Formats: sequence, structure tokens, C-alpha cells
Amino acid sequence: MPEGKFCNRTPVNTQEALEALLGDKGGKQYYAEMEELDVDKEKLAASIKNTCKSRTGTWLEICAHCGLCADSCFLYQCNNRDPKQVPAYKIQTTLGEMVKRNGDVDNAFMRHAMEVAWSQCTCCNRCGQYCPYGIDMGVMFSYLRGLLHSQGFVPWELKIGAGMHRVFKAQMNVTDEDWTETCDWMAEEAQDEWPGLEIPIDKQDADIMYTVNAREPKHYPEDISEAAILFHVAGENWTVPSSGWEQTSLAMFAGDWEACTMQVKHVYAAIERLNPKRCVGTECGHAHRATVIEGPYWAGRPDGLPPKPYLHYVEWLAEALRTGKIKIDPTKRIKQLVTLQDSCNYIRNYGLKEITREIISYIVEPGYFVEMSPNKEHNYCCGGGGGFNGIGRFRPQRNRALMVKRDQILATGAKLVIAPCHNCWDAIRDLEEEFKIGIKWSFLKPLVISMMEIPEHLQPKEEEE
Amino acid sequence: MYALLTGPMLWLTFAVFIGGLAWRVYSYFKGLDWKLDRVAYAAHRDFGIRGAVRSIGAWIMPFGSHGWRAKPIFTTLFFCFHIGIVIVPIFLAGHAVILKTRFGISWPAIPMVLADVLTILMLAAAVGIVIRRIALPEVRIVTSLYDYLLLVITVAPFVTGFMAVHQIGADYEFWLLAHILTAEIMLLAVPFTKLFHVVGFFLSRGQLGMDYGIKRGGMKGTNMAW
Repeated sequence: MPEGKFCNRTPVNTQEALEALLGDKGGKQYYAEMEELDVDKEKLAASIKNTCKSRTGTWLEICAHCGLCADSCFLYQCNNRDPKQVPAYKIQTTLGEMVKRNGDVDNAFMRHAMEVAWSQCTCCNRCGQYCPYGIDMGVMFSYLRGLLHSQGFVPWELKIGAGMHRVFKAQMNVTDEDWTETCDWMAEEAQDEWPGLEIPIDKQDADIMYTVNAREPKHYPEDISEAAILFHVAGENWTVPSSGWEQTSLAMFAGDWEACTMQVKHVYAAIERLNPKRCVGTECGHAHRATVIEGPYWAGRPDGLPPKPYLHYVEWLAEALRTGKIKIDPTKRIKQLVTLQDSCNYIRNYGLKEITREIISYIVEPGYFVEMSPNKEHNYCCGGGGGFNGIGRFRPQRNRALMVKRDQILATGAKLVIAPCHNCWDAIRDLEEEFKIGIKWSFLKPLVISMMEIPEHLQPKEEEE
Repeated sequence: MYALLTGPMLWLTFAVFIGGLAWRVYSYFKGLDWKLDRVAYAAHRDFGIRGAVRSIGAWIMPFGSHGWRAKPIFTTLFFCFHIGIVIVPIFLAGHAVILKTRFGISWPAIPMVLADVLTILMLAAAVGIVIRRIALPEVRIVTSLYDYLLLVITVAPFVTGFMAVHQIGADYEFWLLAHILTAEIMLLAVPFTKLFHVVGFFLSRGQLGMDYGIKRGGMKGTNMAW
């Protein structure tokens, strides 16, 4: 069979197609069709010819087969040091083979490559740090995902996720109306406690344009009101765009580069429209990567930078705490052992390691912060990065992958994990559910709100007695 | 035979070696693509150079990177192997004599004892590397016959050279010819095999350093702790 009804080489571009694909519960028919999906070898060969240049070609060729990457990979570690989990082996037997054969591969090869690309690599990029040549297999797996996606070999949820971006300009079916209504609703609710609090929508020339993860309006709207409270207390002149508010990109996990480009251009258009001084994104790792680190390139910006300075939430928060815009009540600082999850996407891949620790220095009583080992840019993936959290088919593998983070957390003795990343936060929640090690986990926003000093003029007026 | 190997063949070898490597460097740079690699090489060249230098520096220094420090035994083997390969042929007294007598170039040389020690260390490291390849499952699975062939090509000039210098096995002529021949084979192989890493290491390591120096944190004022 050349192409299936659901499993095919055409991305989802309409709401009808999206709903139909969602209707195929668990991707049952989708994966059945995938077993029959033909490989368009000519197209694959052409893609390789056009996109596999110096860097990737050299990486594939030069690998000395030294095996130093093995121990760098948390998936190798948690799978009983299975040699088949050695990063060099994983990439050589998939992308390496595909390039060597110039795209002349069959269906079984592609399905195997899909399994490796999405269940044996989270694109955490740690291996590149441990390879003498600096061969970054996370980058190559991301590239492989793009080739697989273009041939229709992509996990069901990620085809849906990328389709959501194409249809809704958001990773979930949240429309711009849903978004602005949620903002209004959250502002209204918060006003009881915070008189004068606003969530200004589409304000021109604000100091800050704030963007979020679509999960927030969909499932965790309190995250939006927490952000609003903190901006309110800090006295920021801020706004959210009515459209272009979604900062994440499941399309990046899917390897759907066209959808990535559409999504990030949509956010940049909001920046151009509202002309803020700078942008701040929520506590999410991949959102930052998609919009700030990779996004400029998808949008074709030669300087590799977003149109305006674009801060990760931790950068803004550290600044607010440093400059005293937000003051912490010293008596309310965290006085229990606490550890910090370094998100690969903005620590290893964006260098914010000291910023998060600066925040810790303000909110944790000295002596109570315990580092994970390894940490900072050498930290391990939470276990659910790169889309791994969201793929039902690979759930058993994902659950196993959580063991490394579990053991890292247990070794700290901390019962509270600060995880300023949606994806890490989810993975840590799931690992508690799976292994019951008795920990709590939190974003920074609620912690800071619980311990900040509220300036006199912002305090709720006493009810008349 | 001797005249052929030390005459036209030698010049051909050097031409292929240098020309081939120059072509490797040229084509690598030519194939770098800021859009495909998603690294703004040109826009932030200084950050890129800084990142490349830091990245190469950490890895060219024994135990200079987290990766080297994590594997002390392999790191020791690795540096014994590479230091011998680079230092001995370039600074061997016997080679300096040839440069002097044939071309009148004065060339520094290391003491013979040091050359012997480095050669023996290098050969011992090669044996260690082979044992490691066979013994460790995570290395065995990525090892192919090609890896062993490259090791043989690399080690052969050193074994034969050592035999010739120390007149072991009596037949000096044989070992000398074998040494010249195997050395030429090695040099000829460099541009066409993974041995091109004599330049490729700097290119690849430098590229990832640029990536980190430009896009992945270098412009945020923190340094990647390689």
C-alpha cells in the first residue's frame, strides 16, 4: 500500500483531518497502516543530497568507534548498559545506514529508525559533550526525525501535535479566543486578592511581551495568573499578544520543520505587531529552544536571534529578584532540602546554569540547597524530553528512562525538586507516580509567590468592619 | 626500489597527503551552512572563534575535558598513542639527518632514548586500544574490521621503524624499505580514510565549539564547561 488514510507523507493541515486522526484512538489504524507505508526513495535520496552536508557528513564519517559516548547517554545507563543503546551505534545503524544507502531503505528499516529516533534519544545533546570529535548525536537524531517525518514515519501523537500547530498555531486545540478568554478569566479571579491586577492583551510598546505554553490555558490556567501576579508585584509594563502567544513547538519534536517555521513566524509577527522592548517566555525548556534558540533559524534570520531580546522566565525572575522588583521575605525562604532540575534545552543548550542558581540563592535558606550530580550543563535529561513524555507507544521505555532522574533525586536526599520546565515538571511528576519516592515538585512561580513581600500599595484593602 | 620509494613516490605521497588534507579543510568549510546547521557563523564570528578555541583546547589537553577525566585509562592510552605518533616522526634524529643531508635544513631532534620511549608507549597503547575494543561490549558493538585495518596502517611504520633503528632481526635493508613503504601507505591513507581526523578533529571539535559559542550559551556570558 503506498500511503494510508492516516499514516502518510502529508502533514495535517485542516481541522477535519486533525479530528479524524484524533478519532483513531491510540493510533491503532495509524500504526497498522505504517506497516504498509512505502518509502519514497527518490524523495529521501533528494532530501539527503540537499541537507546532509559538511557537518553531518563529517560526523557520520569521522566517528572513531571509541565508545566514549556510551556512558554519557542516560538511556544506555538505565537500560542495563545495553550496547544497542550506545549513541554511536544508534545513529550509525539508522541515519548512518540511510545516508550510506542513499535512501534505498525499506519499510521495516524506517519503522526501526522511528523507534530509535523517538524512544532511544531525547535529543538532550549530552553525548556531544563527551565525544572527542564533538559529534552531537542529539542534533543528528533531530535531523533524522525530519527525514522520517517527511516520509510519514512519525509517532501518532507527534503527527497530531505538529498538525495542531499547523491548524491552531498552538500545540493543543486552544484558539486565540480561548486564550484571551482564559486571560480575562484569570485576571478577574486574581483581582479579588490583587486589586488592580491586569492581564493586558495586545498592548503596544510594552516593556515585556509574555508568551506561554498552550498547556497553560488548556490545563493549568493558574500558571498564567501566577505570572500575572509576579509581573504585577514587580510593577512591570507588560502584555500578552492575542495571537502568537504560544511559544512551544511539538513540531520540533516531530521533525516537521515547515510547521516549526510557521509557528515561530507567528510569534515573531506578534512581536513586530506589538513592538515590546523585550519578550519573556514561561518556565518551559523546549518552548525556549523552539522560539529563541532554533526559531530564528527556521524564520531565516541571519543573525540567529529573535526580533527582540527574548528571555527565559528564569532570566526575568533572576533580574527581578536581583534588582529588588520582587523582594523575598527571608523568614519564608525554603527551609527543607531542595534540589534543582537543569533543563537540557536552556541549561546545556543555552548556558543559563548560573541564572537558576542565582534564583536559588534568593529563595532557599543557605545550607538547604543540594545539587544533583552531575549537574548544570552535564545534567541528565529528566527522562521525558524530546517528545518522549507524550508518545503512548513508547511509554514503557519512557518510564524506564525516568530511573536515572529518580536515582539522581534520591541521592540528593531532597524531597522538593524545583523544575522550571514544563517537560521536566511532567517527567518528575510521572516518576513520582511510577516509583513513589515521596517527593514534591514545583515551578518557580508558586514558590516565589508564597514567599515574596507584598508592597503596601498592592495589598488588598481591608474589608470595612 | 629504495630510489623509487625515496624519490618520486615520496614526493607523490607528500603531494597527496597535503593536497588531500587541504581539500578536506576546504570542502568542510565550503559545506558549512548556517541555515542547515542553524548556527549563525558569519554574524557572530568572534563568539564562534572563541567557542572553537575553547572547545579544541579542552579536548587537545590530556584530562582537559569532563570526557577525558571520566575515562582515565582510555585517556592515558589515547594520549600515549597520539603523542608518539606526532612527536616521533617529526622530531626523530634520523629524520632530521635526512632533512639536513638532502635539503640542508636544520631541524630540531629529540634524544634517541625519548624517541624509543615514546614509540614503545605508543605501541603499548595500540595494544591496549585493541584489547579495549574487544573487551568492552559498548566498544565492540561499534567496531568493524575497518577500525583494525586503520590501526594496522597506523602502527606499521612505527613497528618497522623501530626494528630498523635497532637492527632487530639483522636485515636492516628490509626493515628500512618496509618502514618507508608503510609510512607512505599511512600518509596516503590519511586524506581518504578516517585518519583525515588529523585535520578533521580540529574542524569538527571547532564546529561544535562555534555552535556553543554562538547559539548555545556563548553569547549569554557563560562558558560551556567542556
